[in-house]
Amino acid sequence: MRITVDPITRIEGHLRIDVEVDGGVVKKAWSSGQMFRGIERILVGRDPRDAWLFTQRFCGVCTTVHAIASVRAVENALKLEIPPNAQYIRNLIVAAHAMHDHIVHFYQLSALDWVDVVSALKADVPKTAALASSLSEWPGNSTQQFQAVKDRLAGFVAKGQLGIFANGYWGHPAMKLSPEVNLLAVSHYLQALDYQRKVNQVVAILGGKTPNIQNLAVGGVANAINLDSDAALNMAKLYQVKELLESAKQFIEQVYFVDVCAIGAMYAEWLKYGSGVTNYLAVPDLPNNATGTAFDLPGGTIFNGDLKSVKAITGFEDPYFQKNVSECIAHAWYDGDWTRHPYEEDTVPAYTPFDADKKYSWIKAPRFDGKPMQVGPLAQVLIGVAQGHEPTTRWATKALTTAGKIAGTTLTPAVLHSTIGRHAARMIRTAIICETASKHWNLLAENIGKGDTRIFNPPSFPKGEQQGFGFHEAPRGTLSHWIVIENGVIKNYQAVVPSTWNAGPRDAKEQAGPYEASLVGNPVANAELPLEVLRTVHSFDPCIACAIHTLDIEGNEVASVRAL
Amino acid sequence: MPTTCVLGIGNVLMSDDGWGPRVANTFDTEYVVGSDVEVFDLGTPGLDLTPWLLDTAHVILVDTVHADAPPGTIRVYDKRDLLRHRPRPRVGPHDPGLKEALLGLEFAGRGPRVLTLIGVVPERLTQGLGLTPAVAQAIEPAVELIAAQLRRWGLPVQRRITQPAFRKTGTIRQNPQVFG
Repeated sequence: MRITVDPITRIEGHLRIDVEVDGGVVKKAWSSGQMFRGIERILVGRDPRDAWLFTQRFCGVCTTVHAIASVRAVENALKLEIPPNAQYIRNLIVAAHAMHDHIVHFYQLSALDWVDVVSALKADVPKTAALASSLSEWPGNSTQQFQAVKDRLAGFVAKGQLGIFANGYWGHPAMKLSPEVNLLAVSHYLQALDYQRKVNQVVAILGGKTPNIQNLAVGGVANAINLDSDAALNMAKLYQVKELLESAKQFIEQVYFVDVCAIGAMYAEWLKYGSGVTNYLAVPDLPNNATGTAFDLPGGTIFNGDLKSVKAITGFEDPYFQKNVSECIAHAWYDGDWTRHPYEEDTVPAYTPFDADKKYSWIKAPRFDGKPMQVGPLAQVLIGVAQGHEPTTRWATKALTTAGKIAGTTLTPAVLHSTIGRHAARMIRTAIICETASKHWNLLAENIGKGDTRIFNPPSFPKGEQQGFGFHEAPRGTLSHWIVIENGVIKNYQAVVPSTWNAGPRDAKEQAGPYEASLVGNPVANAELPLEVLRTVHSFDPCIACAIHTLDIEGNEVASVRAL
Repeated sequence: MPTTCVLGIGNVLMSDDGWGPRVANTFDTEYVVGSDVEVFDLGTPGLDLTPWLLDTAHVILVDTVHADAPPGTIRVYDKRDLLRHRPRPRVGPHDPGLKEALLGLEFAGRGPRVLTLIGVVPERLTQGLGLTPAVAQAIEPAVELIAAQLRRWGLPVQRRITQPAFRKTGTIRQNPQVFG
């Protein structure tokens, strides 16, 4: 049987998944990007200093990440260093954006795959509070809080107003949490809204505005630093950032961390599903010096799930990354049938009807040394553990111990190659980033305290051609921008984005991409409600955007799940 | 946080989809509002719209809409219109959009009490900078609708300049102050 999950109205949906199911198990899968993404073409002929203003509009969710990768690409082409203050300010924005994104992913975008909201109505409130306090010291876990949420939920159900959860698969046989855990999760979903906003405020304070930040420049940042001026980055604003980070830290460590451990432990059977491609790629990020040669987040590659195979990517100049990236269009709707390095690519659309054996996606297939790679928090966490990176090892061990205790078993990093493992890794990464953000706040404050207020090194564009690449470990994984500059003007520009690595189609050698491979072996209990397929795809945090967004208020908004 | 927000939604790299941000920026350039009103160009935030709506009292959203009418037609909707249809299953983070953000906030008891959507029917939604003439002509009427709506809510609104400072299509303005 063939199941197609396709948000067919295409108002905002861009991803179509086809799975072949036999005996209740997925045998084969295809991932298809349903929208042409060639926005890079807008950049040709423009001033490289302006590129980031355009690239941050590629995607409405991943705005800052494309801005950061773009300025890094131009700086790489010009061999331009940026002042330490600029590095720290960028890092704080990157960190806040990542925390925001990861919290939103768990509570808003994927929790309904695991949490049965209606079941929370049957929860015993004192039991819920007792369970919660056995897991965490979070002050928001009181009996009164849980009772209020339960009453609220009951009111909505009674009035038939469960609109927000209308797509939830409640009562689905794959839903396994107790009513108490469901009530706990619903309560935390509501509390997460405030922390989403708090970390967003960090981006707004430092970036001037959010979601489209205004403070970047090729060569640094545009945040004038003057501790005594209202118009500049001053003491009051710095301390506001610090307070917001501390508040987020409490939520991340006492709520998000605990929820993922608990829900993960209760769905332990999902530690068996969803591994797929076990080649991993992550780039180092949060540089802690001006040259971009020392980092607080580790990067590298792992092949065939073997942590001993880890090889580090050491810095913004590392040829190991630069030389090994290519993209293949054998199964993508572009003119030709090539595998090329990003500097050599073109983007000429050539649409033909969906054909799983020929061309079936607008997404190109990126490869590293010819191999498909899984990117994202899981890649970064495994690479960190493999390299003995201290914060990664500490948080991963803590998560596996906590979840193991709840599940009554011993868990090793090997269980992370899975659908649940991707959620766990995202939470581990959030905790690491949160504590690293505090470190970079201190580095910034100390450096300013020494009297260094430099924020910008002006770029100059030599005659002739320069090539550069800028990478960034974005919330969804490795992002790289590739630029060719000729006489101060952009000649070619390519963005190889995280969801391209993960959602890309097969290549010329018929090697499946990570989404496609991860679905093979997944159970599907009910072909009309393929919750299990959504669980695995959502665990990657798909973002196929670059995005058009048009509301359809008068029209038909029913998406389709077709079982043939 | 401000209690009233004017939020421009859309992708400025996708032709007429950039109308919402253009209207918001034009309004911001041409009008002075009180400190409890803020104007944002939000791009295409999907569910990341939620923090912008949290604990607001009044919200004006400006966006493109699908409607059976010629390009450039402005349609105004309220919250009830937006919530009439069921949201669709989610796949990517862009899928849950305005409707899910509003429903989520209803459940949390924290969404805007009053919401107005000013929408325009687009002509071209393909990659490219700048608006089609029909849709560009709808900028000024939409700006006036925003001003009128804020006044109806009893909020002070004052025209900043008599001569429109900027009316050309085709440029992203990151920094409206340059033109103000």
